[in-house]
Amino acid sequence: MATNLNGAANGSSNNDDFTVKAGLAQMLKGGVIMDVTTAAEARIAEEAGAVAVMALERIPSDIRKMGGVARMSNPEMIKEIQAAVTIPVMAKARIGHVVECQILEALGVDYVDESEVLTPADDQFHVPKHDFKVPFVCGCRNLGEALRRIKEGAAMIRTKGEAGTGDVVEAVKHIRTVNAEIARARAALAAGGELAVTAMAREIGCDAALLKQTAELGRLPVVNFAAGGVATPADAALMMHLGCDGVFVGSGIFKDAESPEHAAKRARAIVKATAHYTDKQALIEASIEHGTAMAGISNAGLRPEEKMAGRGW
Amino acid sequence: MTVDSKPSTITVGVLALQGGVVEHLNLLRKAAGHIASPAFTFAFVEVRTAPQLAQCNALIIPGGESTTMAIVARRLGLLDPLREFVKIQHKPVWGTCAGLVMLAEQASATKQGGQELIGGLDVRVLRNRYGSQVQSFVAELELPFLDANASNAKGEAAAGERTFRGVFIRAPVVEEIIAPGDGSEKGNGDGAGKGGGRSVEVLGVYRKAEEGKPGEGEGEGDIVAVRQGNVLGTSFHPELTDDVRIHVWWLRQVVEAARHGDLVVGGA
Repeated sequence: MATNLNGAANGSSNNDDFTVKAGLAQMLKGGVIMDVTTAAEARIAEEAGAVAVMALERIPSDIRKMGGVARMSNPEMIKEIQAAVTIPVMAKARIGHVVECQILEALGVDYVDESEVLTPADDQFHVPKHDFKVPFVCGCRNLGEALRRIKEGAAMIRTKGEAGTGDVVEAVKHIRTVNAEIARARAALAAGGELAVTAMAREIGCDAALLKQTAELGRLPVVNFAAGGVATPADAALMMHLGCDGVFVGSGIFKDAESPEHAAKRARAIVKATAHYTDKQALIEASIEHGTAMAGISNAGLRPEEKMAGRGW
Repeated sequence: MTVDSKPSTITVGVLALQGGVVEHLNLLRKAAGHIASPAFTFAFVEVRTAPQLAQCNALIIPGGESTTMAIVARRLGLLDPLREFVKIQHKPVWGTCAGLVMLAEQASATKQGGQELIGGLDVRVLRNRYGSQVQSFVAELELPFLDANASNAKGEAAAGERTFRGVFIRAPVVEEIIAPGDGSEKGNGDGAGKGGGRSVEVLGVYRKAEEGKPGEGEGEGDIVAVRQGNVLGTSFHPELTDDVRIHVWWLRQVVEAARHGDLVVGGA
């Protein structure tokens, strides 16, 4: 379970820079990163024990409902959140939007999420992430996509899931796919050596050296969180059980919460379930504390064009 | 993670509430290979509960988010057992980054309303000393206490290196030593092997290489490694490197403590 990626392996020009970028993600393991839209919500998240907050203008379920173009948040709101909490503050930029990323870096955010939850700005290229000092987290549905993002410089990966639905099925599918493909890469390396790994890399569209490193490690070479539809303590524990290093909770904390106090309870409950995902008694307590979950939308009822996970490649 | 009871077993825990747990366990296992002895074996375990803590002869508190660790530990009723472990039983404890924050008696730049600490080091730490993640960095550190160590270490991969690769991530530093009447504001860094002292020793200082604001503080750099009796704290993350030297050095002290009977060495 070593996660110390040699930065040189993904083309980082400076190994120290990549150690520091990937290292922050390593320090977030076992924790919960919560979507927040105001300083007050960020404080609720911090008090509940979140390891970081993700600043965005609207939670994914509202982006889904309201439609329109979803963009980087207003810097003023991000500054207010930075001033309100001492835990790391992350923020989302549109896929391929280099300038939004530059603005977020200049604001001093701790991580940029180049996210499919926002409307993509470039239909050909993701942001070249090695060019930045701020680290990036990116979504994936499978191993090829994860390693393409890491090759571009991402220092942390998350499943895409299907954001804003409260339906965990896609997040489960994505982590299972990644795990199965890592197992396949290991088998390929064992049976056919480097040639077999290179063939598989060609097939899934990723860098062969990174795939080999992944096969040797038996896991992604950077930290991998779950995201996209995690709504309850049991969902969070399920994602940990499937091998994720931690969870992002988007709409699940504040959507349909009866009051700020209810949101705080949900947040505490999900932190507890993530930290103690094997402890059944803790999971019972967390599930009771959590109360009613967001209503949600079944993923199966979404039309293909309504899905966010298909954005990016 | 086998608990072996042939010779006496020294159980070293890593607090596993959140953060860089596996990284420490990996380096501990590597470091143990440098301290071979027929007299004892090591067991390295994750610690999430008070009963698990009670099994341990020594503990590492890893990097992570100190606010999260404090909140989770309080909800589990783990803060008081941890304080007893550190301050009453005086078992060897090492905190890295967030672990250093947890082991300080005081912390500044904490969240609104402050945060709970375990304590044990008579220092005040300043959280996020260097700012946000874009100010995180790697710097070569002079750690004189490792030199003494290197001379009796046989053939370690990293032995002979003069400096240690310090990985600082949103790192805290010791901004003040608060022990009343303590004179050793500036240690010579060579505290290894003295043992038993209860005053704060400075084991490492980071001085920014060039273009550092000259008037900053005392102009003497930042205190990034301290020890007080059984408690060690470092601002940086040895567990994010492959360099086992500090882990080896610390494990030797764990063994030493066992030998002097400061520890109850558990076999059962």
